[in-house]
Amino acid sequence: MPDSMQQLYDERLKRYTTAMRNEKPDRIPIRPFVAEWTAKYAGYTIQEITHDYELAFAAARKCAADFDWDAVVGNMVYVWTGLTQAIGIKYYATPGVDLPPETAFQYKEPPEDEAFMQPDEYDRLIADPTEFLFNVWLPRVSTEVSAEGEPTSLRNNMSFLKGGMAMLSYFSSFGEQGARLKEESGTVSAIAGMLKTPFDILADKLRGYVGLVMDLHTQPDKVLKACEALMPHLCHVALAGADPEKNVPITVWMHRGGVPFVSPEQFKYYYWATMKPIIEEIWSHGHQVLFYAEGNWTAHLESFAELPEGSIIYHVDQADPIETHKVLGDRFCISGGIPNFTLSYGTPDDVRAACKRVIDGVAKDGGYIMDASAIMQDDTDTENLRALTEFTREYGVY
Amino acid sequence: MGCTRMAEKDPQSTGRDPGVCIPWQEKMKDLPEIKGDPEIVKRVWEDVDSLAYIYIWHCLESF
Repeated sequence: MPDSMQQLYDERLKRYTTAMRNEKPDRIPIRPFVAEWTAKYAGYTIQEITHDYELAFAAARKCAADFDWDAVVGNMVYVWTGLTQAIGIKYYATPGVDLPPETAFQYKEPPEDEAFMQPDEYDRLIADPTEFLFNVWLPRVSTEVSAEGEPTSLRNNMSFLKGGMAMLSYFSSFGEQGARLKEESGTVSAIAGMLKTPFDILADKLRGYVGLVMDLHTQPDKVLKACEALMPHLCHVALAGADPEKNVPITVWMHRGGVPFVSPEQFKYYYWATMKPIIEEIWSHGHQVLFYAEGNWTAHLESFAELPEGSIIYHVDQADPIETHKVLGDRFCISGGIPNFTLSYGTPDDVRAACKRVIDGVAKDGGYIMDASAIMQDDTDTENLRALTEFTREYGVY
Repeated sequence: MGCTRMAEKDPQSTGRDPGVCIPWQEKMKDLPEIKGDPEIVKRVWEDVDSLAYIYIWHCLESF
């Protein structure tokens, strides 16, 4: 790697980490979470980048190099459908298989009576979550894995072998992708390690949203105990994937605790009560957490403000970044807040105006990272993304 | 690495600790008397076992 590329990388890493610590860098770092848009820009179909992760990596590298961004995710599409097919996971609709090749993968939540965990199975989950996942959950979500009591089969055995080998191959390749981003364009890999909250896991993958909110009324104690049983495991997985250098954050992908999915009381008693200790534990190990707060979480900002100063980066989706900054800005870095609608259907002038509003209102004293509100899929307009990039580079200098 | 404060075991619980699928104490019962260094056997068992743990939890969380 030439010295100039190393120097470029070092400058970007410093810019990015300074902002994340809520301090003032030389200029606002640009860290766009670009997903299916990378396929459109790099000349691939969505099927190609979703089913062949090497193509997704190549697309991410091309975008990072061409747009000169400070930090990107190695593969923001993330769900590699070659892996989910090997395991036989049935809750994805796969581009090019179940969907047209230009449609992004979809998550299919089952009907309430076919939930992957039934309402009378809380005790078994609480007693031993790992056993429950292997013996109860996996056979239900996989077309290949034999259920308890069923004879084993070649396809059952191959699911574990192929799934394990494929996951190892995929995760290992992120190391090489990070090195190539650094060497080829001086780009920082933006995040490392992932977290889901206990409540979201129950809602997304076990009981389903409708089943879970019914349980909040019919068996609330079991819901809380299940969340508590999941906490140490979710924390462990997050730390296992964290950046050993402690530069870039673990990301928590937040879904069902926002407005209007649960009441403020339910948020505090279930969602936050079992999320906050995980964040505090991770922070005690020296890692920040990026709150990818999908949807609107404005009603809960005061709860997030309880966390130790600097422990999180708060990403704004369907909320006003300026209002968010008023509550959290003196404690945490803010990212995002540029509406995806504007990036998809507005003009470059609209995008520049949106960026100026957010920079003026949020980034005056540092502690801001430029990004769209939500992950950018293929509806994002390339010229609008270019306008976001160029405007921030010019106007976002301190 | 670990979530020590959250992993304090409830004495009533039979659950596996974070990072563990088949505990060493359970596997040890299958083995004859170890003639060499038992710590190497234990460490490698736990390292490989943790990969299986990561597999199932990432199936749940990531995919």
